[in-house]
Amino acid sequence: MKKLSVWLLAMLAAFAIAGCANQKAPAEQAISGAETALAAVQDAAQKYVPDQYQTVQTQLAGLKDAFAKGDYKGVLAQAPQLTSAINSLKDAAEAKKADAEAAMAKAKDAWGGMSTDLPKMVEAITSRVGMLSKSRHLPKGVTKEGLASAKSGLDELKTGLNDATAAATSGDFTTAVSKAQAVKDKGAEIMKALGMGS
Amino acid sequence: MADDKTPAAPAAGNNPYTQTHVVQSGDTLSKIAQKYYGDPSLYTQIFDANRDILKDPNKISPGQKLRIP
Repeated sequence: MKKLSVWLLAMLAAFAIAGCANQKAPAEQAISGAETALAAVQDAAQKYVPDQYQTVQTQLAGLKDAFAKGDYKGVLAQAPQLTSAINSLKDAAEAKKADAEAAMAKAKDAWGGMSTDLPKMVEAITSRVGMLSKSRHLPKGVTKEGLASAKSGLDELKTGLNDATAAATSGDFTTAVSKAQAVKDKGAEIMKALGMGS
Repeated sequence: MADDKTPAAPAAGNNPYTQTHVVQSGDTLSKIAQKYYGDPSLYTQIFDANRDILKDPNKISPGQKLRIP
């Protein structure tokens, strides 16, 4: 009886080992497949959905850890979840990338108009500041302080316009438009202070 | 006074930000300069900016749209 039990235990152990060995290759393949799939979306995911990418990486690390501990069954059980997470990551990254590209195209278009328009605004303000600086008196509604503020504001406009142009030159149209809008707002404020309303 | 051979006024002509003034009956360039600059003696600046439509600084007509640089 005792001899039979030993044989039985040995047989069960052999089956268990064989079973594990049978699951090792698929588990390894599952991890390898996940790594390949993740690598394919890595750049876009890191750029557009970094938090989601980090979560998927953690999931993958969990699977690798389970594999290292010989829990091939666990790896295979969790692999579909990881595959699904990678697919979602890919979709999210592609959607964000499309949004970013659309926003950049819109900004590029807006910059096209602003880059032509704003130098004219600066030119008109420069001209008026020059005129008022020559004037012996200031017109109604324009104060000395307002003129002084316009002069310093004009320097800000020129600097802002240069910064916006530099951003556009480097391809960052979103920043360029943001800086250009600040120039436009400041320019409108100065024009109002100088009585250039109409 | 105005020189007919002087080239037309500069780029300000195409500048949408350059202020404009529509001449009213009784306006003179001096009055307009007084209004926008506070100094009637600067009327020549307005004349210079509008040489494409003004030949004589003493002759402006109601309805003319002048650029105020």
